Amino acid sequence: MSLGRAIAAELHKTATLPAARVAVAIAALGSLGITVLNATGIRAALDSGQLDDVGYTSPVEAAFSAAPLGTVGAVILGVIAIGSEYSANSSDAGGGRQISSTLTVLPRRLRLLVAKAAAVVLLLTGTAAVTLPTCLAASHLIIGISSGEGWAELAIRCAGAALYWTLTALIAFAIAVLARDGTIPLIVLIANSSLVSVSILLSNLTPLAYYLPDLAGMRLFARDTWAMTADALDPLTGGLVMAAWAFGLLAVAAAAFERRDA
Amino acid sequence: MLTITGLSKRHGPRTVLSDVSFEALPGRVTGFLGPNGAGKSSTLRILLGLDRAGSGTALVDGRPYRALRDPLRTVGSVLDGSGAHRSRTARNHLTWVARASGIPRRRVDEVLEQVGLAGAGRARVGTFSLGMGQRLGLAAALLGEPRALVLDEPVNGLDPEGIRWIRRLLRDFADAGGAVLLSSHLMSEVAEIADDLVVIAGGRILQQGPLDAVTAGHANLEDAFFALIDAAATR
Repeated sequence: MSLGRAIAAELHKTATLPAARVAVAIAALGSLGITVLNATGIRAALDSGQLDDVGYTSPVEAAFSAAPLGTVGAVILGVIAIGSEYSANSSDAGGGRQISSTLTVLPRRLRLLVAKAAAVVLLLTGTAAVTLPTCLAASHLIIGISSGEGWAELAIRCAGAALYWTLTALIAFAIAVLARDGTIPLIVLIANSSLVSVSILLSNLTPLAYYLPDLAGMRLFARDTWAMTADALDPLTGGLVMAAWAFGLLAVAAAAFERRDA
Repeated sequence: MLTITGLSKRHGPRTVLSDVSFEALPGRVTGFLGPNGAGKSSTLRILLGLDRAGSGTALVDGRPYRALRDPLRTVGSVLDGSGAHRSRTARNHLTWVARASGIPRRRVDEVLEQVGLAGAGRARVGTFSLGMGQRLGLAAALLGEPRALVLDEPVNGLDPEGIRWIRRLLRDFADAGGAVLLSSHLMSEVAEIADDLVVIAGGRILQQGPLDAVTAGHANLEDAFFALIDAAATR
């Protein structure tokens, strides 16, 4: 069977999973919600003149500050694309896992893994392509002033944020393949990307922490206004370091997936 | 059709399969009989490309499963239940399977009808009983109109009516020239359904041949089976 058909099938399979819809909703509606909150706060501060209450007034920052929500959605999507294969049915129903169906349908494992990763990337870039411009438009509309950034700069930051989400999803995906489970990677990675980032804590100890995947790619969309990214790698180097993490982990996951018993 | 030759497998120090060889022929129902843990599932999983053998080969039409192009059009299989994620509907599960195998969408309705799940196509797999899960698994196995069926404990969870139904379905499948390989630990079931028998225990084949040849000299299959197990134990 062709890779194109495998990708189409995995795209359909992932997109029709209820948990995938939750992931996309968090990335899209979550980002938009935070953007609206940020923007209304800034608008109120501008109206009352109490600008000390907000760190910035730029509608662009108001939108990109919401991007971490997209990262949470990306983690969920990356993990469940593979975790759903390994979650067992109740023992009353035979205790089977979908992975045995999947591998009997598509026994060439490398091709299957590529198709699954491609499905995740397509879903996320689609989500980002709608979400990020919508967030930017909403924050401009609410705040009502321009930040003075040109279209090109905005497009680059949108692409950067989309890339950050995508690479995060691929890292989560690779970890779930290695773990053959969704639950634990989901808890650890969501906590890391929303509550406490281990990398940010480590960056207080050593600058090497800026080479860890989540911090390395931070300036793909964040700019100097973010305190924690002041010492981070520049967008190009950081993006490459993060991509190296993602593809390195994918290669290890693929080698394990190809070799072991299902 | 399904040819297994010299299959061996170890899990660490434990021997799971030891030189397992047998064949499932077209037009015949082959019963793969053995106690729990005898190596039935391991053999079927290797045949379906899910697990790797230490040595030996398991071939479908002379080719390893993983080398088949669109395997579901050649072999349908059911292992432990539906093989569907519990949050999916039956129809959604069959749709992705069809899509990935290049099988026309109309087959989804046809097989739902064929296995008696036409009314449950929109129900979530998580709400299914074991018997309904088995039927859904079978629906996916039949989707590609294959020439062989490989079924691991297919009557588990089926009610008497369901058992009668699957017996008829497998008989018709074999009579139409298909090869059926089914594993079971239920002797009376296998005696009802199988043309050929392969008896396995402790990862070794104890005997194989047509049903009447294996049971010859014994009152029934159960007596023949335990005579084989006892003989193997005292060897």
